[in-house]
Amino acid sequence: MKQVKHVLWFELRSILTKKSVIISTLIVSLVFLIATTIPTFIVMFGSDDPSIVDPIDEPIVQPPITSLNNAGLLFLEDVTIQDQLLEHLDDYVLYQSQQQLRSDVQSRVISEGFIIESDHSISAILLDRNMMSFGGRYLSSMLQSIQINKNLQAMELDPSTIYQAMNVEINYQETILGRDSANTFFLSFILMLAVYILVIMYGSFVSTTVAREKDNRTMEVLITSTKPSTLIIGKVFANGIAGLAQFGFVALVAMIGVLINRANFPELLLDGIAAGFTWDGILIYLIFTVTGYLLYLFIYASLGSLVSKIEDVSSSIAPITFLFMIAYFISAFGMEFPGSSIVRVASFVPFTSILAMPVRYFQMSVAWYELAGSLALMMLVTSFFAFLSIRIYRMGSLNYGNKIGLFKAIKMIMSENKG
Amino acid sequence: MELKIQKINKSFSGKQILFDVSFTVNSSKAMGFLGRNGAGKTTTIRALMDVFKPDSGTFVLDGTPFDPTKVRVGYLPEERGLYGKEPIGEQLKYFAKLKGATAKQAQKSIQYWLERFELDYAIKHKLETLSKGNQQKVQIAQALIHDPDIIILDEPFSGLDPVNAQVLKDIIAEKIKQSKIVIFSSHQMSYVEEFCDEITLIDQGRIILSDSLDKIKKEMGNHRIRIKASNHDDESLVDTLKMQPFTKECFFDRQSAIIELNQSLDSNRFLQRCMEIGIEVNTFMPYYPSLHDIFVAKVGEYDEAS
Repeated sequence: MKQVKHVLWFELRSILTKKSVIISTLIVSLVFLIATTIPTFIVMFGSDDPSIVDPIDEPIVQPPITSLNNAGLLFLEDVTIQDQLLEHLDDYVLYQSQQQLRSDVQSRVISEGFIIESDHSISAILLDRNMMSFGGRYLSSMLQSIQINKNLQAMELDPSTIYQAMNVEINYQETILGRDSANTFFLSFILMLAVYILVIMYGSFVSTTVAREKDNRTMEVLITSTKPSTLIIGKVFANGIAGLAQFGFVALVAMIGVLINRANFPELLLDGIAAGFTWDGILIYLIFTVTGYLLYLFIYASLGSLVSKIEDVSSSIAPITFLFMIAYFISAFGMEFPGSSIVRVASFVPFTSILAMPVRYFQMSVAWYELAGSLALMMLVTSFFAFLSIRIYRMGSLNYGNKIGLFKAIKMIMSENKG
Repeated sequence: MELKIQKINKSFSGKQILFDVSFTVNSSKAMGFLGRNGAGKTTTIRALMDVFKPDSGTFVLDGTPFDPTKVRVGYLPEERGLYGKEPIGEQLKYFAKLKGATAKQAQKSIQYWLERFELDYAIKHKLETLSKGNQQKVQIAQALIHDPDIIILDEPFSGLDPVNAQVLKDIIAEKIKQSKIVIFSSHQMSYVEEFCDEITLIDQGRIILSDSLDKIKKEMGNHRIRIKASNHDDESLVDTLKMQPFTKECFFDRQSAIIELNQSLDSNRFLQRCMEIGIEVNTFMPYYPSLHDIFVAKVGEYDEAS
């Protein structure tokens, strides 16, 4: 234990005094500080853009004047409500020919083109469709609204009376016994992303550290000075602590940034963060993160010992990095569909539960026995891989020459045990 | 202390490297472990240090199985390597602590060894900023930092200039006086010859000689006499002696002519016979082969036989 402490402190000191680590931590912290100050800058220097109007699905009684953001409009002969429509529009260009409209969209003279074919029909011409292409929905909504008014008038009904009658407010209240995923979505996404970066970054870091010791031939001195288990446990924990310290520092700076600028943050976002910030949620997140992080670090460290040159590290760690990326994609899917079978299964598989279980827990209710079962399984597999990693490290640490794959290393250990 | 290496066999990928390697090392006596490149020296040392397990055979220290983690062993591997980007003081402290020293002991020892190697100015320097020779000295300091009872040095003199080689020779002599077990391999025969009491020769993975150096020299120098004459150069002296019936073998090296006598003639009678045939002897002494001669002769003999 004392020896592990010596390895841990030496490695930790070595990581935390590296200029690259200090500079990158400061830069990332600064980026977060600036990012959290953006709402304050917007309030100080910006103004609300009147052209940004939420798309409306309901018919509009008196449609407001809406900007089309330099869109092109072409009315065909059958259209009878051209003047009524144009009364409510702004920032548009009228066209006479479809060819010209298409050409101007193509050459980006206008943002998008709309052909109003009849009082009930619109065709849109877009160069690229993006998330902010709302023009078609505005126009459809307006046509619909004009037609409804026209129909009501034809039936000799007063549109305003009708809309008044339709304007019934229902008092709806929800009592959520489990989780409100709308509130926890943002926080769980940020935390999932943080764990992803942490594992990828420090996993690769610990592999490189081990490979460098082989590359510069320090390994033989180390391996004859203490036990391999002492070395690998010390290295894994040192890298683990360094990663958590670095991310903790950045998170602290980000939190300070949010606290300083909280008055200017959108209320919805602050409510989302506050609602997601439950002690049990954070505890589950930390337990699964730390255990899974250790599991991956042990594997990354043993993979580092299977190569002789630093340049071979990336190809050696590629399979485990790919596996972790799968865990990330499943968990990202779980943000939308936490109850789906694949996410449920992933929350029990130790290689994926590091991300999938906290995501599930943040998004929906998870029974305590499911949590306990998943955690027990992960701890068991982590212990097994820690043991296996020590064996691989011992075998790989002095194997100079061609790179050995993980499965070949396991096979060699198995045959060694049989012998 | 007595360290016995007993019948060590080791194969890599089906190719046998060591064949029943056996020899004994005693404290207070330096053991020179010699062999050509690829003879099996480093493999034997690595097996002794438990870098890998031998296929068969045992290492026994004072009658009990030898475990390098339970005895204070100072080891200088053949392939040098420490942390290039770490300060020297920090990494020496780390290695001392790994080998069981307390922080205080480590600090004191680091100070002592760095001063001894005239590197105390570099305690906070990164290793990679030092010259190769100085890096080698730090590496040796690493092996001695925890006052080991057994010192195993694989090619310790390579990379050292004559002044630093002398410093290392003094240190090894001190350690031998302190009743430590010292094993070291080297290609530089003169260093081994200077202070090794015992030598072990290994060739093609087999021990071909392991004994006291004095005994080997006496045995190999038996009935041989170093002779020089004032009225002959070495070459003509050899020609003259070769014609005599008492001569079994005669040759010369850079110092003198060397004659091996037939068993029937002792040295006094040989000297008398020389005067009778008109050789004016001015140097006459028993011949002891150099370690280089022993090495070349024994390895050559073994290679021919195999």
